[in-house]
Amino acid sequence: MSEFEPNIVAFLCNWCSYAGADLTGTTRIHYPPHVKVIRVMCTGRVNPLFVVQALRQGADGVLISGCHPGECHYLKGNYLARRRFLLMRNLLEFIGVNPLRLRMSWVSASEGKKFAEVITEVTEEIKKLGPLKSFKREIL
Amino acid sequence: MNIQKLRDEAKRAISRKEVKYLLGYQKGSYGFRVSPAFIESKEEVDRLIFSPLCALSLVNYLMLEEELPQPKEEKKVKASKVALFVRGCDSRALNQIIAEKGITRDELYIIGIPCKGVIDLKKIEARFPGVVDSAEVVEENGNYIVTIKEQILKVPKEELLADTCKVCQYPNPLTYDKLLGEKVEAHSANYQEIRSLEEKTLEEKWDFWQKEFERCIRCYACKNSCPLCYCEGCILDKLTPQWVRRSVDSSENLLFHITRAFHLAGRCISCGECERVCPMDIPLMKLNRKMEKDVKELFNYEAGKDPALKTLLTTFNLEDPEDFIL
Repeated sequence: MSEFEPNIVAFLCNWCSYAGADLTGTTRIHYPPHVKVIRVMCTGRVNPLFVVQALRQGADGVLISGCHPGECHYLKGNYLARRRFLLMRNLLEFIGVNPLRLRMSWVSASEGKKFAEVITEVTEEIKKLGPLKSFKREIL
Repeated sequence: MNIQKLRDEAKRAISRKEVKYLLGYQKGSYGFRVSPAFIESKEEVDRLIFSPLCALSLVNYLMLEEELPQPKEEKKVKASKVALFVRGCDSRALNQIIAEKGITRDELYIIGIPCKGVIDLKKIEARFPGVVDSAEVVEENGNYIVTIKEQILKVPKEELLADTCKVCQYPNPLTYDKLLGEKVEAHSANYQEIRSLEEKTLEEKWDFWQKEFERCIRCYACKNSCPLCYCEGCILDKLTPQWVRRSVDSSENLLFHITRAFHLAGRCISCGECERVCPMDIPLMKLNRKMEKDVKELFNYEAGKDPALKTLLTTFNLEDPEDFIL
């Protein structure tokens, strides 16, 4: 049987992590190809329901990545997101979903290498966890 | 609680010029049911009752009132208030709604009643099945005196008391214009039940919740009875995009319950009405209390303590925990 190839949805903030991912590409660093990137203007834009919806519609893990604290383009978007997703993680864990399936990271526009590292780590973790079956929507 | 004192206070409140109507409780149509009373004149106050059966929150009816579009100048002149009775949990709900700018304090005339706990309607109807004639309940020295058709029965309080009232931390109203009766002693925070569920493995927790959510018939009673679920454009009703489908299956039910619990994170005031009205006995308060516990431990925040305080998810602290972030 072939190895499990996970589906990972990444919400990247336009100003830091998306530019960081761009840098990873231009500096030709390799990282696992399992990530589907969705660009958002800020991590504060990501509604916690996006995460649940992604998990229900086929993702095995979700990554939210944005600017480091204090460096948000909109001053406080990432702080708000931090609170929100900590609570969402706890709620998912309480319901019985492994909290490692919802990850968050701070990657700035100059951290191309860190972006590759984050993606590698997240992909490996999700590979270990295996596919998320029970959470999926019955009829898509 | 002296009923005459309550009616006198209601009479005084309704006589005030700025009060347009008063929200209280009256006897329901049958059995142990209680319904809300909308009192508009002094003569009507004799309808009012207050007993441990009055479990529903009057704050709901306050938020249901439709606001007609008015010119700005006219609005100023017609400054009028609604008077209502609140217990500890209701006053926290009001504080939270005021903090969220759902209503202003100037629109309210609050009569606070320290609360000794309410009866769970499910428990009393299971204890006395098939009661049609209207019944009365009075609390006396740790017992409930139940009067059904001239028959007087004594039931220990613990048997009928609602589960949330057993761990109530705020039985006394926090905001009020007038306080009736004497303050009641509060319980200390107790999250033992939540902790024991947290310690189970992920599979056990998943199976537990799956079994509970499977039963959900999506009647939305929990949503409609919640004093904090007052958004006009509820995400659960939305069709474009349709977040939650109408179909009742385990995966849609799961999303519905996650949404409901998350939208009450840092807002739930633990009145327990959602669990009491649930026809399928889903332990919704476990989800709410889990969020309440986390919010308290992680962010040192409690909903509805102060109307001037900003809401949890619109504020942040530089020192918020971030050990989960890569």
